[in-house]
Amino acid sequence: MAWRGFLPIIFTFWFVSQSFAQEDKSELIQSDISSRNIAIESNFTGERIVIFGTIENSQHSEFEKALYDVVVAIRGPKDTVVIRKKSRIAGIWINADSYTFANVPGYYAVLSTRPLGEVANRTVLNAYGLGFDSLILRPLGPNAPATAANGSINIFRSAVVRIRQKDGLFSYKPEGVVFVGRNLFRATIDMPANVPVGQYATDVYLLRNGEVLSHNRSQLKIHKEGFERFVFSAAFDHPLLYGIAAVIIAISAGLLASVMTRRD
Amino acid sequence: MFDIYLPIAELSVNLLVILGMGGAVGFLSGMFGVGGGFLMTPLLIFLGIPPAVAVGTEANQIVASSVSGALAQWRRNNVDIKMGTVLLVGGIFGAVVGVQLVKLLREIGQVDLIISLSYVTFLGIIGTLMLIESVRAIRRAKAGGPVSTRRPGQHNWVHGLPLKMRFKRSKLYISAIPPLVLGAFVGLLAAIMGVGGGFIMVPAMIYLLRMPTNVVIGTSLFQIIFVTAAVTILHSVSNQTVDVLLALILMIGGVIGAQFGASAGQHLKGEQLRALLALMVLAVCLRLLFDLVVQPDELFSVGPAFGGH
Repeated sequence: MAWRGFLPIIFTFWFVSQSFAQEDKSELIQSDISSRNIAIESNFTGERIVIFGTIENSQHSEFEKALYDVVVAIRGPKDTVVIRKKSRIAGIWINADSYTFANVPGYYAVLSTRPLGEVANRTVLNAYGLGFDSLILRPLGPNAPATAANGSINIFRSAVVRIRQKDGLFSYKPEGVVFVGRNLFRATIDMPANVPVGQYATDVYLLRNGEVLSHNRSQLKIHKEGFERFVFSAAFDHPLLYGIAAVIIAISAGLLASVMTRRD
Repeated sequence: MFDIYLPIAELSVNLLVILGMGGAVGFLSGMFGVGGGFLMTPLLIFLGIPPAVAVGTEANQIVASSVSGALAQWRRNNVDIKMGTVLLVGGIFGAVVGVQLVKLLREIGQVDLIISLSYVTFLGIIGTLMLIESVRAIRRAKAGGPVSTRRPGQHNWVHGLPLKMRFKRSKLYISAIPPLVLGAFVGLLAAIMGVGGGFIMVPAMIYLLRMPTNVVIGTSLFQIIFVTAAVTILHSVSNQTVDVLLALILMIGGVIGAQFGASAGQHLKGEQLRALLALMVLAVCLRLLFDLVVQPDELFSVGPAFGGH
């Protein structure tokens, strides 16, 4: 029975060794997101999400100036998109040239403590896919080979980013991440009503002197719910039944209207 | 607080705005006895609804408004079922072709252009003709002269075609080819423009087929129900561009508006009203034309890729 007496001592030792071990551990970032599940219902007008977290094993002392940078990237489901440019043909503006790009994120937001250019160099930013310039938009289809030569593809690339920014689907907030305490940070982003549904990844990167020290990912799912989900899945999974139902609703509405308004 | 998310259009709109638009167009429909699709579809486009969704959804709404209209005509025995069926056969054919055309145009990124161009063309022609006609009528009324209704002649080239059929209700013995072609053309317009096509069908029935005017409206509405129903189902299957929620809101607004419109129309002078409607049609036409001709702020547009490459 004597070994029982040793138990608290063993635990104490373990805890002490743990805390010693932590001291020479490198910095770790821990983060979470205010909602992991966003449901689009008929009253959906967009959603504000908050990403917050903390730096473990921070070496930040109280009187130092900011030691760490935090960059948050939210990436929506990727899709193939066509970008078209209008030209004036016979006095009318008509879609003429086009490029097809694969793997364009339907949503892409980058938030950081400082402008990305100050946080890290181009190589690091590209490696982690941070910032619009690091988005790799690969052309598809018959136009692809010719474009690489004439360079006009870059105009189309930047147009994709510009339009998505205007629609609120791409955003960059260079001062979007703020430290609340020494090691506690928070980032707020407003997602617009037109966010695409699907699986989102929220990546949080901890940087110091332009190097990524730690990375943490949380998943975010945006999906249609309730009536919206019912209508949407009916329309795409059972299009014939959906069409017939739409007609039945319309005929019923017409009959109802004529019964209600009949004056004879 | 009245914002509502449309599941197929995939955007958030103000419920009151949509109800108001349905009501306003319904009011005009009730007042003038027109379908209203040719005004509603452009209004939905101006609101930011994707043109293809505006077309598919409006076809769905027209089913509802023509059912109540056709029923009223049916009770007065103003429907030529046989003629309506022949028109309908052509109409379904036109609808199938039109919906496939929309699908193809969506893939090559020209659907918005073709919808706008169709509207500019038809609204321009119809608006101008209506304006001329109503201005003449106003002048005639001022001059105090008799309102002459030109009785169409008994025979034209239509009567020389083969495949003759007897249409008892219309008291006609004519070839089935003109109504089939007419039906197909209107079916095509219904699929591309989201209209019932009454504005083409009614004059064509009177002046081309020489149908008695009392059966024209009822027969036109009869075939519009089935053609727009077919267009709704075909667009649902091929393009997934029918937003039932949007359609339902428009139906509610439309029914209410039509009631007020019908009673308002009885107290007001016809010629002035028609001139007003003509001006509105021309205004919508000019706005669409303006958007086509003036250099847009953003030359680029991003859309989903269809099919595989």
